[in-house]
Amino acid sequence: MPDDKIYEDLSVVIRRASAVFLALAVLVLLALSYYWKVQILDHKQFWDLAEANRTRIRVVSAPRGLVRDRNMKILADNQASFKVSLIRENVKDAASSYPAISRLLGISEEELRSRIEKYENLPLFEPVIIKDGLAPEEIAPIESRRLEFPEIEIDAEPKRFYPLKTTAAHVLGYLQERSPEEIRANPGRRARLGDMGGRAGIEKEYDGRLTGRDGSVSEVVDSLGRKRSEQVIQDPVQGQDLKLTIDSRLQAKAEELLGDRDGAIVVLDPATGEILTMASSPRFDPNRFITRFTPEEWVQLINDPASPLENRAVRGLYAPGSIFKIVMALTGLDLGYVTDQTTVYCSGSLQIYGTNRACWFTAGHGSMNLVNAIKNSCNIYFYSLGRQMGIDTIAQGAERMGLGRKTGLDIPGEKEGLVPSSDWKMKTLKTSWFPGETISVAIGQGQLQVTPLQIAALTAIVANRGTRTVPHFILDPPRPGTPVPPDAGAAPPFKRSTFESVVEGMWKSVNDGGTGQGARVEGLDVCGKTGSTQVVSRERAEMLARAGKPIKTHSWFTGFAPRTNPRIVVTVLVEFGGGGGAIAGPVAGQIFTLWKEIEGR
Amino acid sequence: MVDRRLFQEIDWILIALVLLLSLLGVLFIYSSSHYLPTSYYLRQLIWLGLSLFAVFLVVALDYKFLMSFSIYLYFLVVAVLAGSLAFARFVAGTRSWLKFGLFQVQPSEMAKVIIILVFARLFAEYKGRYLNTQSAALVLLLAGVPLILIVLQPDLGTALTFLAIVGGALILAGMRRKTLLLLLALSLVVGVGGWNFGLKDYQKKRLTTLLNPQEDLRGSGYQIRRSKIAIGSGGLTGKGFMKGSQSQLRFLPARHTDFIFSVIGEEFGFLGVFIVFALYFLMLARMFMSVAKARDRAGVYVIFLASVLIAFQFLINILMIIGLFPVTGVPLPFLSYGGSSLLSNYMAVGLILNVKMRRFANV
Repeated sequence: MPDDKIYEDLSVVIRRASAVFLALAVLVLLALSYYWKVQILDHKQFWDLAEANRTRIRVVSAPRGLVRDRNMKILADNQASFKVSLIRENVKDAASSYPAISRLLGISEEELRSRIEKYENLPLFEPVIIKDGLAPEEIAPIESRRLEFPEIEIDAEPKRFYPLKTTAAHVLGYLQERSPEEIRANPGRRARLGDMGGRAGIEKEYDGRLTGRDGSVSEVVDSLGRKRSEQVIQDPVQGQDLKLTIDSRLQAKAEELLGDRDGAIVVLDPATGEILTMASSPRFDPNRFITRFTPEEWVQLINDPASPLENRAVRGLYAPGSIFKIVMALTGLDLGYVTDQTTVYCSGSLQIYGTNRACWFTAGHGSMNLVNAIKNSCNIYFYSLGRQMGIDTIAQGAERMGLGRKTGLDIPGEKEGLVPSSDWKMKTLKTSWFPGETISVAIGQGQLQVTPLQIAALTAIVANRGTRTVPHFILDPPRPGTPVPPDAGAAPPFKRSTFESVVEGMWKSVNDGGTGQGARVEGLDVCGKTGSTQVVSRERAEMLARAGKPIKTHSWFTGFAPRTNPRIVVTVLVEFGGGGGAIAGPVAGQIFTLWKEIEGR
Repeated sequence: MVDRRLFQEIDWILIALVLLLSLLGVLFIYSSSHYLPTSYYLRQLIWLGLSLFAVFLVVALDYKFLMSFSIYLYFLVVAVLAGSLAFARFVAGTRSWLKFGLFQVQPSEMAKVIIILVFARLFAEYKGRYLNTQSAALVLLLAGVPLILIVLQPDLGTALTFLAIVGGALILAGMRRKTLLLLLALSLVVGVGGWNFGLKDYQKKRLTTLLNPQEDLRGSGYQIRRSKIAIGSGGLTGKGFMKGSQSQLRFLPARHTDFIFSVIGEEFGFLGVFIVFALYFLMLARMFMSVAKARDRAGVYVIFLASVLIAFQFLINILMIIGLFPVTGVPLPFLSYGGSSLLSNYMAVGLILNVKMRRFANV
């Protein structure tokens, strides 16, 4: 042993260790005195609190607010239903209990386990919903064996129900279980796991208003968590009711008219922007998947190449086709490229930028002024106008009419569409604009993309002779802080006089042997414009190929009535319908007719 | 291996105190979980047996020998920590568990024991009256790597205990007051920075809950509130064994693990609290006093740091469950349910016994 070890002086480190122990002793003594305070001095207060803790708080789900149409017909209702929850803490033996529960409830054990796994992180005493949407007669056999299963709990809850089934399903949206992320993101909402929340449409947009305030019941429980008595602390408060601008009769008619064909119909009041109808086809019945679980039906809808869950009226992007001639005419007149008297000779085709461009009427329309060019939807007239204006002027006009941006509708998911310009092309495609492309855009083809709602809103501006309104669904209570487009209330996009010439052309199109005559209604001055789009976007074309559908033209009609003091705008799009005049026009005609009937009553 | 003379030198009183506390723990684990499907008290008894065996192993080998290869253990545990971060299964939101068949072990618990040996080796020949910068830097570097890995898991409670060991080593080595102040300032900067950039939301919430438990009665404030109600309602003598309404009716969360002392407070009142405090105090006093029995500097470090490890956890836990410290997930050594924690604390006791029984031994 080396010498220095024997004589090593450890007194310094030992003294330091003692000092640390002394400090610790003082802290422990202080802690003990605090325990004295809590246990002896404040004993009474905590004793009372502990007594209150023999009770457990059970949450009573509040029903969502009802949604009604403009005539007070109920579109979204609540139905009595039951849910079964599992309290994991009370499960004695998972291996024998889970198979028995799955047999009792008629669900697969696998499903039960995956459900429980999903809520692994939830405290064990919190119930996990394992089956919902049960009718009273379905709950009876479960209730009768209640004592055998102390780990399950049966509660009543209001379940969303849509009495009109598929009618306005895209507008209303549907519910799904709130995700843990969603709950974490909105701590103020007081949502709990297992709560249902709006997933699309009105249900999502007005989720905060429709969601009620859950009530609570205080239950005295025994050590097994079994209820001995209960007392209501707070009654649940139903969510706010909403009244929509929808007219369910028109809505049903529009959906019936679309039938099996894919497409969209928008009907609105141009003076206020109130949407009377928004139909999208194919449709779905939200009643069939309002559950916390993932039914077959839902998976099928999600995977359907025709995407029935998509609201084509606001999310479908289409080339506007000849409908765009309205924008061309307004812009051309306003900026003085043409006047009412300017004529262009249509021989059936025109040589522009080295290519031969044909009019849809190969025999030729002869000499056309602006009104007749709209009436007959003459391509040659607008080719020549487009060549004069150039792409950027066209784009400016389109943007003034609200294309290329959201209309501000009060349901989520609206698409913006696309108005191409030379800047846009340089930015996104890194190439310069070819003049030849302008000619396609002039008749509403090319990269131009619009939604049916944008066309309806555009038609409303024409009907109002320049006044813009924001399309919306909510009628009562009014929309909070109504978001308006930035230029609302500003000067009309074009001189009011220019609108009269375009309206004249649209009137002739329907009432004077033009392309829109299919929409003619006796005794109602309908003005309208047809469109047939020859090109589908790449995205759509791929979808079609998957769905195995032939690529036919989309059929458009948009119009309003009456000519003076217009009350209604109707926009119809039928996918792969064929010519706008032949298909979409008559559909719009029937809607105008029904509207007139309803108004006449 | 252990010759008879050494065996006679074992501190049986310390062992008795530790065992007494552990059996008290088993009793209250039974009280707070007997109605649950899993028999936690039985599991704890099995772990207790394993821990005693571990003490035997730790005691059998001279601490000098353990120190000599502590650095290899250190690298091993760092590798396991890093590996478990990447691969280990998620348990209760932390990546701190390593699964071996039926047993789950927290490598971070082992890291605490190993770092004690590493520090003892580092300072074994350190004769300076005060801590020099070089050694301080080495301590921080050696502790920093596993500490960061533990924080990343994230296991705030173990990280905190780890820091206490580091602090203990620095104090013992003679950190100057100036350095102490500098470190405090540094931790303040790290604290502010960590609050803004490092802490997870749930951790921040736990801290804010400490300041205002009423704010979030269902969240982490819920735990503190419930625990305080349980303790306060116990009064002087408590509600009786297995008669605490808060623990029996399951209002108290984590009652057989971190909040076991609340069960004692509820069911045996201030008297129960006082007895446990007294037993604990006797045990800690005996541990710290053993410092004087070490035959060399390394022995002093081993005993002191092992005592700090247990004392710190005790202090934090008794402050945490009554709302004087944020809920950080520090268990009460020997009493709380949890195999890894029991094992590592018993190994720390084993280290103390090891040094103490070899005070006369010739190397």
